[in-house]
Amino acid sequence: MEILKCEGVKKIYGSGGSQVTALSEINLSVEKGEFVAIVGASGSGKSTLLHILGTVDKPSSGKVFIDGVDISTFSRTQAAVFRRRKLGLVYQFYNLIPTLTIRKNILMPLLLDKKKPNQEYFEQVVSSLGIADRLDALPNQLSGGQQQRAAIARSLIYRPALLLADEPTGNLDRKNSSEIIDMLKLSNRSLNQTILLITHDEKVALEADRIVTIEDGRIISDRKRG
Amino acid sequence: MWKNYSLDYAKNNKNGSLSIMAASFIAALFLSLLCSLFYNFWLDNIEGTKREDGDWHGRITGDINEEALKTIRCFANVEKAKINTDLSRNGQGVADIHFHNKRTIAQDMPLIAEALGLTESSVTYNYQLLSLYFIRIPGDDKPRLILPAYLAIVTLVCISLILIIHNSFAVSMNSRIHQFGIFSSIGATPAQIRAALVQEALLLSLVPILAGLLLGLALGFGIVGIMSAAVAKLPGGRPMDFGFHPLILAGILLLSLLTVLISAYLPARKLSRLSPLEAIRGAGELQLNRKKRSCLLSALFGMEGELAGAALKAQKKALRTTSLSLTLAFLGFMLMQCFFTLSGISTDHTYFERYQNAWDVMVTVKDMAIEDFEPSEDIRHLSGCRSAVIYQKAEAACLLPADVQSPELLSLGGLEALIPSLSASGQTAPQSASGQAAPQSDSVLSGQTARQTDSIPPSPRSVPCYRVNASLVIMDDDSFDEYCGQLGIAPGQKGTVLLNRIWDSLNSNFRYAEYIPYVAESMDSITLQRIADTPSADASAPESERQADGTEIPVLACTQDAPALREEYEDYALVNFLPLSLWKEIKGRLGGAEKDVYVRLLSVNEGQTSPDLRESISPEALDALEKDVLSAIGADYALESENRIQERITNEKMIDGYELVLGGFCVFLAVIGIAHVFSNTLGFLHQRKREFARYQSVGLTPEGIRKMFCIEALVIAGKPVMVSLLLTAVATAFMIKASYLAPIEFIAKAPVIPILLFVLTVFGFVALAYYLGGRKILRGELAEALRDDRMM
Repeated sequence: MEILKCEGVKKIYGSGGSQVTALSEINLSVEKGEFVAIVGASGSGKSTLLHILGTVDKPSSGKVFIDGVDISTFSRTQAAVFRRRKLGLVYQFYNLIPTLTIRKNILMPLLLDKKKPNQEYFEQVVSSLGIADRLDALPNQLSGGQQQRAAIARSLIYRPALLLADEPTGNLDRKNSSEIIDMLKLSNRSLNQTILLITHDEKVALEADRIVTIEDGRIISDRKRG
Repeated sequence: MWKNYSLDYAKNNKNGSLSIMAASFIAALFLSLLCSLFYNFWLDNIEGTKREDGDWHGRITGDINEEALKTIRCFANVEKAKINTDLSRNGQGVADIHFHNKRTIAQDMPLIAEALGLTESSVTYNYQLLSLYFIRIPGDDKPRLILPAYLAIVTLVCISLILIIHNSFAVSMNSRIHQFGIFSSIGATPAQIRAALVQEALLLSLVPILAGLLLGLALGFGIVGIMSAAVAKLPGGRPMDFGFHPLILAGILLLSLLTVLISAYLPARKLSRLSPLEAIRGAGELQLNRKKRSCLLSALFGMEGELAGAALKAQKKALRTTSLSLTLAFLGFMLMQCFFTLSGISTDHTYFERYQNAWDVMVTVKDMAIEDFEPSEDIRHLSGCRSAVIYQKAEAACLLPADVQSPELLSLGGLEALIPSLSASGQTAPQSASGQAAPQSDSVLSGQTARQTDSIPPSPRSVPCYRVNASLVIMDDDSFDEYCGQLGIAPGQKGTVLLNRIWDSLNSNFRYAEYIPYVAESMDSITLQRIADTPSADASAPESERQADGTEIPVLACTQDAPALREEYEDYALVNFLPLSLWKEIKGRLGGAEKDVYVRLLSVNEGQTSPDLRESISPEALDALEKDVLSAIGADYALESENRIQERITNEKMIDGYELVLGGFCVFLAVIGIAHVFSNTLGFLHQRKREFARYQSVGLTPEGIRKMFCIEALVIAGKPVMVSLLLTAVATAFMIKASYLAPIEFIAKAPVIPILLFVLTVFGFVALAYYLGGRKILRGELAEALRDDRMM
């Protein structure tokens, strides 16, 4: 089942002489349960792609379907509600709400929908991510690795169609990095979670099932691993 | 290097620099305007008090001659001392004393009195003047709240203004901690960064502050000039001179610059506590160190409420300044309104309500004895005149046997219970209304047997007597007969009518004075004595007569109804109304007549004589009556005249002017408060782009963010409003209590509408600031805000 489909996605910043083409003609399809790594050098356009997929940015042209819905024409409100329910975003700098406890941070997408969390699922997520004992702490009381786990837990809590991770290990040491990648893999295997991971680290990328390479805003290779 | 950096920053960040310059300019302008206006009002108050109550600090009455003056001048703290020739009579000298250090006056005056061999009762203080120098003398029973109230308000506003400067810096500096982190990471020492910040701060704010100060001063000069011109046009108004004290300007300049320096120094200190990496990465972020829950907000508004509450709590420190300055501005505005309302109520009470029906035209004949005043008949027959009373006032004392006190008075504990200074043993003198002890304390007694004059047979009674002040109102015989007619007494008798009432100060206050009968109705005669320091009206009277101990005169009636005169009688004094013919006989023994004669006229009311219809009297009729009476009295006398309607118009003009000034001041306070809200909320929002991007990244909708804005605006504006309302309520309750007004009277006239309008305007402006700032945030690129550029 196709969970993500990009058709001729273009993104151009600026206008006139100072135009910069960040993405040109991106066509990409991701099946449910896939773990895809998008790699590329700095400035290749991979973060722009992730922002468009994460509905925080819009393509200049082209269409993006997630779970069969065209997200490229969303209004801001529609985009927010879609993000809340269908997407899990993990950033390099965690982007946790510093004023809320880890528990509240994780439950935030549900709380915004005034939904009661499934306690069993919540416990499963936090215990598999190893942060069950830090739920009442504030983000700044946690280490970087713990904060990133909380961010992953938050992205998983709504069982999103797609988990988008933007350099999730970029700010972590090697040990924490491999742990985070293991967690993503675990969620991919046990929950059949579709994951799109952006990284410039070849080693991290090698953990994925499929590696898409972007250069100058174009996909230059798309290979599946064994 | 730093110079270049600062200049470049100022050039490239025009908005930030401009906002700092504007804040410094506006704050300095308002500070200097406010302080120079207040200083001038203060000077004017002192000038006015000196004119009305005299230019002296302390006064000693007694046996004062040149020798005594020398003794007084020997005191190191005495600046000057001179004999007040107007008040000194018959060997009783009055010395007016100025002190270098007025603060020790309460210790110095008794010492001076002692050195002169006088008792403390010979000492009086110029309470009003001293209160303007913030000196309160023990024993002063008046509240004298005006100056402290104004000063408190001005101080509040000054702090609020200073906070504007601080705030504008804080907002700009906080957003730059990241930049300074970079400087620090490449090896700039904290001292270098501090120097750069301070240099930049001075560069940006010195000129605006100086310009603001001078312009504020110029505005102050203009406003005082305009007010002076307006006041000088009013009858009795005197022009104000613009006063200026270099210390005030120096103070404001120092305060402003100090604020700038502190505001620039604080972020530098914050920076020196952070490691360069922390500064680069995390500065300016919302952080909470402890878990805090906003139960109320989250219960009321759900998740958005909780987020808003948490954000506000995390920004508590930054918002503290906003909160404080807003609260101060609100408080200034609200207190001013309440204070103004109270003083309005008080003015109504003390003057207009009381005398509204007592007069139409009032003429004061200067330096005249009533027995020498001839045109009484002509006045009485003026065509527009319904009633005329010609009278003069005199001061005397009366010996009151303890057993003639009214049963009501006795049931309260007698005179001693009402007059605090009249001790149980009765050794001290009863007090006059001004709170000053009667000078002749040695002859004052309770428990002393009344001595009688030679001309009046000795009283067979031997009961204790009180010596109390007696106010005499000497009316021309026709007026007195008319008054007697009203009371049902046969005309033409020689005797006194007693105003038989004394203020029950135990069960009522001076505002809502309740009166009880002073003496028993059966009292048929009264012994009047001369007040020692007043000369006999008839200097030619034989010495023996002038020294006489008392004059007994028959009492024609004891009444609760005073004749309709525009007079306020001394508290606790026994008021006597006497006919001129009787006065002629006793004045030689009593003396004490005041210098002027008064003529009170009531106008014919176009056929109507009921007092209720007096409002229908036209201003023209009163003007005509005033002219007629002046021409009837003739040009031989020194006259001053007033008429009721004219005076009311003048008073209304004065109140209008007063309202204009105070209203202007309130608007000024309101503008400061609103400017605060606006700059702070905008600055506050500007720093939170990333925070809102995060909320959105997890799925908070723009509507949700708007809801958050509304909640925050409500809290930011609501909290200071609530605190100010509470503090205003407490302060107003205190002022109401201190001025003895009934709370219900204030509540009826409470300035609800201006305060409500002000509060709504403030809410409106907070909402507008949130709208503008929020629109920017909502329109901004989410992806841009989420991208963390800090490590790149």
